[in-house]
Amino acid sequence: MTNLALTINGRAYGPMDVRDELTMNDFLREFLGMTGTKFGCGAAQCLSCAVIVDRPDGSSYTNPTCIVPAVNFDGKSIRTVEGHASDGALTPLQTAFIEHFAFQCGYCTAGFLNEGQVLLERLARQKVARADVEATIAEALDGHLCRCTGYVKYHEAVRAVILADPGRYLI
Amino acid sequence: MRPSRREFMRWSMVSGISLGLSRLASADTPSFLVRETLPGRGVPRPATGRVDGVAKVTGAKLYASDFRAADLPGWPAETSHALLVRAADATHSYEGLDLARLGAIAKPTVVVTAEDLDRIGTRVPSFYAGDLFCPVGKTPLYLGQPVALLIFERFDDFDKARLALRDGNFLKFGAETGPVAVPNYAAFRFTRVAGATPDAPDIYSPIQEGWISPGFLESSGRPIWAPLPVAKGGEYVKGAVFGEKIRAELGSGDPALLTLDRDFETQSVDPMFLEPECGLAWYDAGEGDLSIVLGVQSPFEAASAVAFLLGEAGDGFKPKRIDAQFAYVGGGFGGRDHTPFPLYVALAAMFYPGHAVRLAHDRFQQFQGGIKRHAFKMRTQIGVDRASGKITAFAADHVLDGGGLMNYSVSVAVVGATGAIGIYDIPKVDVTTVAVHSRGVTAGSMRGYGTLQTMTALEVLIDEVATTLPIDPIAFRRLNALKTGGRTMAGNPYSVSVRTREILDKLEAHAIWQNRGVEKAGAKPGYLVGTGVACAAKDYGTGADCALGTVEIAPDGRISIHGDAVEMGNGIGTALANRVAIHIGGIADAVTVAQVDVFDALELFTSGDSYTISQAEQDTAAKDTRWVPAISSATSASIGAHVGTQAAAEAARVVFRFGLWPAALALWGIAPTDPRAKQAGEAYWQDRHLIMTGLSPLPLEAIAAKAHAQKGVTGAMAHAFSRWAWAQATFDIAGEAWTGDIDALAIRRGGDAFTRLDRSVVAFPPADYNRIGTAFSSLCGTLVRVEIERATGLLRIASAYSVLECGQALVPEVVVGQAQGGFAMGVGYALLETLPPFEDGPGNGQWNLGQYLVARGSDLPLHDLEIEVLPPLAANEPPKGMAEVVMIPIVPALLNAIFDATGHRFQSLPVTGAMLKGALA
Amino acid sequence: MKREWRIPVLVLAVMAINIAAACLAGYTVSATTSNALASPESFATISDPAKRSAAYFTELGKVLTNPRCTNCHPAGNRPRQGDMSRLHEPPVFRGPDGFGLETMRCSTCHQDANFEPGRVPGHPEWHLAPLEMAWEGKTVSEICAQIKDPKRNGNRSLQDLVKHIGTDTLVGWAWAPGFGRTPAPGTQQQAGALVAAWANSGAACP
Repeated sequence: MTNLALTINGRAYGPMDVRDELTMNDFLREFLGMTGTKFGCGAAQCLSCAVIVDRPDGSSYTNPTCIVPAVNFDGKSIRTVEGHASDGALTPLQTAFIEHFAFQCGYCTAGFLNEGQVLLERLARQKVARADVEATIAEALDGHLCRCTGYVKYHEAVRAVILADPGRYLI
Repeated sequence: MRPSRREFMRWSMVSGISLGLSRLASADTPSFLVRETLPGRGVPRPATGRVDGVAKVTGAKLYASDFRAADLPGWPAETSHALLVRAADATHSYEGLDLARLGAIAKPTVVVTAEDLDRIGTRVPSFYAGDLFCPVGKTPLYLGQPVALLIFERFDDFDKARLALRDGNFLKFGAETGPVAVPNYAAFRFTRVAGATPDAPDIYSPIQEGWISPGFLESSGRPIWAPLPVAKGGEYVKGAVFGEKIRAELGSGDPALLTLDRDFETQSVDPMFLEPECGLAWYDAGEGDLSIVLGVQSPFEAASAVAFLLGEAGDGFKPKRIDAQFAYVGGGFGGRDHTPFPLYVALAAMFYPGHAVRLAHDRFQQFQGGIKRHAFKMRTQIGVDRASGKITAFAADHVLDGGGLMNYSVSVAVVGATGAIGIYDIPKVDVTTVAVHSRGVTAGSMRGYGTLQTMTALEVLIDEVATTLPIDPIAFRRLNALKTGGRTMAGNPYSVSVRTREILDKLEAHAIWQNRGVEKAGAKPGYLVGTGVACAAKDYGTGADCALGTVEIAPDGRISIHGDAVEMGNGIGTALANRVAIHIGGIADAVTVAQVDVFDALELFTSGDSYTISQAEQDTAAKDTRWVPAISSATSASIGAHVGTQAAAEAARVVFRFGLWPAALALWGIAPTDPRAKQAGEAYWQDRHLIMTGLSPLPLEAIAAKAHAQKGVTGAMAHAFSRWAWAQATFDIAGEAWTGDIDALAIRRGGDAFTRLDRSVVAFPPADYNRIGTAFSSLCGTLVRVEIERATGLLRIASAYSVLECGQALVPEVVVGQAQGGFAMGVGYALLETLPPFEDGPGNGQWNLGQYLVARGSDLPLHDLEIEVLPPLAANEPPKGMAEVVMIPIVPALLNAIFDATGHRFQSLPVTGAMLKGALA
Repeated sequence: MKREWRIPVLVLAVMAINIAAACLAGYTVSATTSNALASPESFATISDPAKRSAAYFTELGKVLTNPRCTNCHPAGNRPRQGDMSRLHEPPVFRGPDGFGLETMRCSTCHQDANFEPGRVPGHPEWHLAPLEMAWEGKTVSEICAQIKDPKRNGNRSLQDLVKHIGTDTLVGWAWAPGFGRTPAPGTQQQAGALVAAWANSGAACP
């Protein structure tokens, strides 16, 4: 057992004792009841379980949770799908996902949402040329599996958010 | 947010167990039903989008895998966890589980084995016939057969045991026995010989003569296709004689005839829905209530199967009541339609009474235990008149591997066989099919359902015919396409639109086709470019499909809808809302799906098997006005839009006609005697206002309030049944005879309770329609251009176009999304996905997505995939099923494009990069 | 010991005919007998120092061409995984520093140590060898020439190589790769001894 304390969607959890073999995915889903983060493959192949990790410097990245011990998240600050909207107000990316019919069964949505959000945050720091937008989105989302949609509408939704705010995201 | 109405229902079953519903939510924890009622009243949301949109982008608890006991009001606080232990050996005698060694790692609180089931007296529903657990001393029937169910009180112990069982061998096996021999599941022969002219009756057809099956060799179990010596009765001989004659013609060596004789093989694949199967159950022994939460495509069947399982069980193991609740589903594709998984969930609860127990597959377990697509071996012969380019005859022989349990193998064999001539009109057809048992993982329903396999073989063969004749492949298809009114292989015409010509015209005119020569000639050095085309006609519906639906409008104009169809990504909730809105003017803000237990007011009952019932039995049964041929269907066979929304749509028509319209007349001050009172059909909705020429538009809210005030019909509940045509019935509503495409109806007036209406007349589709292969079909054609790197065999899809028709698209965005997703799944099937049979296959418990490749974004032409949906032929053309057909033509189109690029015609799937590299070497 | 002793004899016998075939045969023979590595001492019977040096490398080649090594010394920008050396799923790329693209760094999944519940290998420095150090698809002879070339070995001296192969903990992971992955042959210490013997005997290539 190892001590774990972390921040999830701005709220502090722990410290608490956690079994070293417990995955972060099971910690979220079985112990905290936060099932917005999905379990898809348990082998970091589908990334439906990815959450956002916020670095102290303000940058962010996604991390699969199904193959990482919960204890490795000690001291970290993460965001999950449950933490994007505030007081019922959806983020531009959440709104775009809905308006573009980006998902169907929705089981991979949390992973795509987190990956897309991290991409937006990166582009806000490091703008991209219009000509590179599609390739940048494709590279960012390619690790995520979706069995329903053929991916097209996810890509269109992320692109729509970028193109709707060129001052923020485009060179 | 108030919980939607979910009334107690006592649902009498053969077993004497009633299926019913649950308690209402406590104050602080929302009930299951409240969570699953979407989008939910007062939830802010974008103006467009799915009804489940907000819930799915905010991570709301929605799927069965999201629920633990603590999330369900009234359940125990803690959740225990169950683990299905499966055999990775099906050729040795099973000798038991090494519990002592496992117990040292994590000791299960409860162990359930075959002996325990014997002891308590469970029954296995015939659909899953076979031991639920392999008994000690027997050889497992198939790879992945469960041997035990272990229950752990704490998650940590469960998790340790799961990993130990995944990575270590705790099962003991004895002597080598070889695989268990099981007879073939089914064999059929479909033969049709058309009359001399298109108008003349067929000389022989399945619809005239019935379906025929051959005899079997007792020694090997192989079917005997020849008409002699031991065929099963005269009917078989008659058909087989015609069939053999067709084959003799194909083999005659007539120089005027181009004949091709080809073998084609397809592989086993996994539906790979992203949410592995799971369930949560709790048996309250004191009350005798079994509560169960599941995510399946076939809720009614799952609940019924559990009731059957426990119906004769001994003391303490037969619940008084089953409360089954069905959640949103994280992908289905057929793989969650009729699976044995719910039985194990129920057993977990029954063997650990008083505790909530969760059973959930991880991905290894889902590969090992989940339903697969049938692998096919096919031989196909085709004869084409060289002079006219007309196909004169077609013969095929299919063998499909059904794996360990019969499941849907019989029906997949039939659907695959009757789909084997695709879009074509062929006067002489002879197709045999046999579904065999093997020790592989059970194969069952999956998107495409046999026709993906047979039409892939067909469309690759057609391309070869066109190349060989030679004739333009699209011109050849146009020349041979079945026209409206033409007969299918079974001998019946389609009863829906047939738009092959339009689809072919679209394909021919498209730039991908027009530019194919230029693109091929202009290939980059080191690359080969090729273009392929294919077209598919896929049935939708099963020949016994039904729907339940309720529509209610509140005095403030808010609309609620309940349906029994399942939301698995197909957008059924949104389709329900949109279709109902056509009739009553507003989009519902409370839609529940996958509900089978809120239609008690209809007092439905059924008897017999709607697929095999005789006309006399049906006529007798139909005299009871509560009888229907079937109560609730699985959401499968592409029936979501067509069937899944039918009952709600008809209910909405009743609410409009007998609730909103009379209220509108009252508000307009139009007397019932005024001729305009009869013109309900002239009125239409716009922006929640009812418009009638020459009158002021009325807001829905005002009409609803008036309808309640004058005790008009404010809610309707209906049941619809289709056997290639809707059952129709007439009901007396407000003194008027109302006929609808439904067979049961209950209405609510004002704020009253629902009351059932007796149907005065009913016309069920004739029992003979069961001889139809299909009468409903949708079309999709696909063009694809590929670019193959010579040195590596790496294939890139440069550009693609799919054109489809589906009547009225209820949610056009979802139709396009399904077409894009079907395309992706087709690409995976054609180029990436494969599961070896037997010991190296998924039954060994070691498969996951690193090994099993499904299409990723980078495998697809994300910005060069064009989908075109033809507008409906007429404003009143009903929705047609399209979820399956969209994944079919891309598969043969890819193979045809590969041929165009490389000159190599592959006759098996998948065509991997390594195979391409080999072919180019 | 007896088994280990026999291997170089077989190698030697074949070497007399054809050096290239010798590499193959030596590899094949010892791979089929066990997942062991012969010790430097067992090559004492080879009298020609250059041939003996080359024989050390041939033996070491069993390690260098093992999937545990080649999977992350790939020829392209995508690593491979597993004993079957399948392309890595999900698709990951070396990125500018060999530690992955910004959108997917190696370390997001490959943490400080193997994590058996997820069957994911781990090490704090998990990354791809630079492209010039690619071994995938190469013969032992080609790898030998490459590994001696400072331009293609990370500017390492022979003694650096001894240290790298013999003691580097990321290299050492190859002998403790976790469930489902066959460890590299022998031990890291034995591999280090072979490199040392090879380096000290003139670093001849097979």
